[in-house]
Amino acid sequence: MIPVTHFMIISAILFCIGLYAAISKRNAIMVLIGIEFMINAAILNFVAFGAYDKEVNGGQIVALFAIVLAAAGVAVALAIILNVYKYYKTIDPDKIHNLRD
Amino acid sequence: MSVLSILVFLPLLAGLVVIMLPTAQQGRYKYIALGATLLQLLLSAFVYINFKTGADFSGVHQRRQFQFVEQTSWINLDLGTLGRLQIDYFMGVDGLSMPFLFLTSLVMFVAVLASWEIKTNLKGYFALFLLLDMAIIGVFVALDFFLFYLFYELMLFPLYFLIGMWGGVRREYAAIKFFLYTLCGSVFMLLIIIGLYFSVTDPLSGSHTFNMIHMMDPANYVGGSIFSPSAGQQLFGISARLLAFIVLFIAFAIKVPIVPLHTWLPDAHVEAPTPVSIILAGILLKIGGYGILRICYSIFPEAAIDSSWCIGLIGVVSIIYGALNALAQTDLKRLIAYSSVSHMGFVLLGFASLTAEGISGANMQMISHGFLSAMLFFLAGVIYNRVHDREIANFRGLSLLMPKFTAFCMVAFFASLGLPGFSAFMGESFSLIGAFTSESVNGLIPRWMAIGGSLGILLSAAYFLWTFQRMFFGELRLMGGEDWRIQLTDVNTREKIALIPLALMATLLGLFPALVFEKMNSSVLELIRLVNP
Amino acid sequence: MPLISFVWVSTLAKRGSGISILSILCSLILSAIVFTRVWNGQPQHFQVHWFSVGSYHLTAGILLNNLSAGMILLVSGVAFIVHLYSIQYMRSDPYLRRYWRYLSLFCFSMMALVVVDNLLVLYMFWELVGFTSYLLIGFWYKRDYAVQAAKKAFIFNRIGDLGFLAGIMILLNQFGTLNITELFGDGGAISNAMIEDGVWISGTHQMPAVWLTLAGGAFFFGAIAKSAQFPLHAWLPDAMAGPTSVSSLIHAATMVAAGIFLIARIYPIFDQNILMLMVITGSITSFMAATIALVQNDLKQILAFSTISQLGFMMLAMGIGAYDAALFHLTTHAFFKCLLFLCAGAVIHQLEYFKQAAKIEFDCQDIRNMGGLKNYMPITFTAMLFASMALAGLPFTSGYLSKDSILLYSFDWASSQTGLMSLVPYLAVLTSLATTFYIARLIFKVFFGSFRQKQRIPVLEPPSIMKVSLMLLVLFCVFPMFSWNPFSVENSWILKGFSADVQVLSQSRLLHILVPLLVTFVSFALIYLASIVYSKRDGDGSVTQVARDSFIYELFYHQWFINKLYNVIFVIPLMYLSRVSSILDNKIVDGLVNGAGRSVLFLGALSTFVDRYIIDGIVNLLGSISKSIGNVTRHFQSGRVQHYMITMILLLLTFFIFKYFS
Repeated sequence: MIPVTHFMIISAILFCIGLYAAISKRNAIMVLIGIEFMINAAILNFVAFGAYDKEVNGGQIVALFAIVLAAAGVAVALAIILNVYKYYKTIDPDKIHNLRD
Repeated sequence: MSVLSILVFLPLLAGLVVIMLPTAQQGRYKYIALGATLLQLLLSAFVYINFKTGADFSGVHQRRQFQFVEQTSWINLDLGTLGRLQIDYFMGVDGLSMPFLFLTSLVMFVAVLASWEIKTNLKGYFALFLLLDMAIIGVFVALDFFLFYLFYELMLFPLYFLIGMWGGVRREYAAIKFFLYTLCGSVFMLLIIIGLYFSVTDPLSGSHTFNMIHMMDPANYVGGSIFSPSAGQQLFGISARLLAFIVLFIAFAIKVPIVPLHTWLPDAHVEAPTPVSIILAGILLKIGGYGILRICYSIFPEAAIDSSWCIGLIGVVSIIYGALNALAQTDLKRLIAYSSVSHMGFVLLGFASLTAEGISGANMQMISHGFLSAMLFFLAGVIYNRVHDREIANFRGLSLLMPKFTAFCMVAFFASLGLPGFSAFMGESFSLIGAFTSESVNGLIPRWMAIGGSLGILLSAAYFLWTFQRMFFGELRLMGGEDWRIQLTDVNTREKIALIPLALMATLLGLFPALVFEKMNSSVLELIRLVNP
Repeated sequence: MPLISFVWVSTLAKRGSGISILSILCSLILSAIVFTRVWNGQPQHFQVHWFSVGSYHLTAGILLNNLSAGMILLVSGVAFIVHLYSIQYMRSDPYLRRYWRYLSLFCFSMMALVVVDNLLVLYMFWELVGFTSYLLIGFWYKRDYAVQAAKKAFIFNRIGDLGFLAGIMILLNQFGTLNITELFGDGGAISNAMIEDGVWISGTHQMPAVWLTLAGGAFFFGAIAKSAQFPLHAWLPDAMAGPTSVSSLIHAATMVAAGIFLIARIYPIFDQNILMLMVITGSITSFMAATIALVQNDLKQILAFSTISQLGFMMLAMGIGAYDAALFHLTTHAFFKCLLFLCAGAVIHQLEYFKQAAKIEFDCQDIRNMGGLKNYMPITFTAMLFASMALAGLPFTSGYLSKDSILLYSFDWASSQTGLMSLVPYLAVLTSLATTFYIARLIFKVFFGSFRQKQRIPVLEPPSIMKVSLMLLVLFCVFPMFSWNPFSVENSWILKGFSADVQVLSQSRLLHILVPLLVTFVSFALIYLASIVYSKRDGDGSVTQVARDSFIYELFYHQWFINKLYNVIFVIPLMYLSRVSSILDNKIVDGLVNGAGRSVLFLGALSTFVDRYIIDGIVNLLGSISKSIGNVTRHFQSGRVQHYMITMILLLLTFFIFKYFS
């Protein structure tokens, strides 16, 4: 059986990649993908720890729920990105600093 | 509403009318003020004529012996454990205050006539003027200490603006000096008033009261309270009552003024516009004297006796010092101002003697000085109005140019220097006679004070005659040359209307002093009985 | 009694000469009626309630006895003549109406002065005559010296008035009344008061006895100033700046006599000390003034000093108790001195006309410029001669009677004195001789010799009205008006009227014959001497030339330097004092106030400083701290989503790290 540590390492690596992508990418799509990475890293952790809950399978259920939510979130995010693009003609998050005021 | 209230609030009403009228009609303001003061004059003449004399109407510390009394409860607050705050709207006149009512109304009337020269901001001027009028009358008729204080302070405010806005070159300086001086006195007065309030109770309701007449009766003091005569409380090592007397005395003495506290007077008189000078010299100084009699002497009699030697000394010093200073002045208005200091010294000397002649003489002197100094300032104003100069040395031989003016000046000068036949003589000589008899009657002040005071009469002759000689006699010589000769026209009808009543009063009171003496005699005797039983 | 009416008539007379003269004539007639009723009869007394102060009830009223009836007749008589004279004398003056007004006012107050019964009212009129005298001296107010003289006269009189007032205070204090009858009448308050163990007791009141002396001294002081006695005489010579008619009425006949009158009116109050003081003052004054008159050159000044000298005589007589003789001399003096002045006025007046007509410039009052006028003005000369003889006290004149009575009284009095005081009569005799000499000098210089101006036209006699008034007065200068026997003072009816005990004089018969004889003899000798020295054209002969260089001449000429002395002792220090007190007031008293103001301002500035830099500083510091914090944190809000994310994660991490380690 694969020890739970490995899952955690994988998910940590995934999270870090996602974090890096979300922070550093100059493209909103890539940032979105980074966020997806981080969500999936978290989901992976849920699934891995779900092995210790055989009766109600809380981990798997939360994972499924999270995947659904993430999909919905991505859909919304993509829609926002599309609108942002329509408005600013760019999707570089650095150039969109109207949030400042 | 009865006479006194009408007398007090009539000017206020006129002042309101002045404020209401649009500025376009500012030419009418002076006639409104003139009408109000004329009405006031008639009313006070009515009071004078209907004033009853005799031992049953002596007043001073007997409520039922006052005349034209009005008393209604004004502020009556229940303060819970602190008791009741009871302030009455309480007015009345007796022999001590009644002559001043007439004096005030006449001087005010003259002051309005002198106001013709005011050219700027008429609305403000007349509104303040009438407010001042109200406050002064109020001071003379109020018998509740709180009401008195209210009017007393209300007086300051219009005066400050009248001097500060319509005055001469250094008007701000003079106004502030005047204001601070008087305020300094009256602030401490407020403390004493509060102290008295907590010491005195109304014998009927049992609550604390501001009623002056209750304050004069030792039976009304709460046992052990700060100003109770029997408790003998001490403050800073001296008797609290003596301290209170001194503080109140200083507050009023600043107004009188006495010598070390007089320096506001020359400045204020010189810088103030003529009508305000007239009011200052004619009435305001008398409020000091009146306050000393009505409040200091009546409420703290034993302190008055203790300090009469000092008061007499202050009087003598004021007489001589003021006269010497007058001799050295080169400005006509300053000269008159210092002569006021000298003449008011007689008042203090008369008070200090605590004899019937002394106090009657002092009151006479105040009234006479009211008429005469108003006249003198009016005359100084006539010249100043024409050429805007008051330096004595710049005029010479005026009698050739302005014979009628010279005649009026002659009356005013000679009356002021105490020529018999004019009121000042009666005032001065009876103050001195009182001071002289004091040693054998009550032993309060030594005889040399009277002799010293009489030197003032000599000095006053010296400075008035010298001025008269320098300004009016000799060949015509004016500093301003031909321009002045044209501008210096003789007195006109309006000025005559103002001057003749004053000259007439001064002569009338000199020939028939009974007009004043008889009216106040019983009150003066009652006061002396109260102070020195 | 028509007395009130005449007093009022004189007040009403304020317009024009006609009314004025008419009213004074009325007064004269009325006072003559009064005089005949009252003289040697029952004193009359009316009074009304005036006012009351405290327990004093003052009354005003009229008291007529021999003294006041005599005085009022005298005053109205002299005043009437002077009024007549003034018609001509003042005719060309541009301010004629003012003149009549003042003159009427004076007559009114003077007449009121002599009849009133209350010391306070007396004091009022006493000052009022001083005041009218001020007005009349300064009548020509364009002349500076006239105005100066008027001021001086008023102030000198005022000094005396202070004494009077002090006296009133003492009496009112002691007796509670100022009524002359109650105070000084028979059985009045003064005579009932007594001195016991140095305490002056009257009824309920008592005072140290020294106050009695002081009261007398105070009244005496008042009289000194009014009657121009040493040392307060200096105003009278200057008062000659007024019109001559005024000088004659006020400063010779009436007002200056008011001092003597006052002393007579309140005679009982004076005790021995004051009487002695009167003697000393009187003799010094009379002697000093006579010596000054010897060397003056101004016609009116000589007469003024002569007046002072004669008043000194009266004062002396009062002092030695010759009450009646003093009043007698007062009466005779009033007439002859008035006449002298009127004559002098006539001379000056005519010389003025002459000066204008001849168009030459000279001082019309300087006797050195006159001479030989007897040929031009015989009537004036005659009048003047009579008056001068009366002044010199030559026989057959009124002056002989009155002056000799004073001399006799003084010899009588001196016989009871020892030491220096016994010299008083000799001094008086000397003064009397000096009087003879200076008046002789005056007459000779003015009327004898030859006229000292180049003349083309003659100097004229004065107009008729003036002559009439001069002649009227001449009548009063000769003996029959006062005593039928030209050598017997005792028979004078005025002396009898004023006093009851004339027989005192008759006791010393020998002296009575000897003294007048001697005095008359020496007088004639002196007149002869004067005629030798002065009647010639070169009047300033060798005798006077020698005298002129001496110190004594200087002393006399400069009037004993009394004016300068006053200037040095009183005026300059007073001015200095007033300047000092003014500086004191401006610098110290006002300085203190201003200093107080400035220190308050300084306190205000200080508190402003504290407020601005310390308290405000603290507040501002807080503000700037929070501002800089804000500045720092502002950078976090870059608007970039990714920055927010970093911040969030860093914060989360920090939180976890802190959570982990704590």
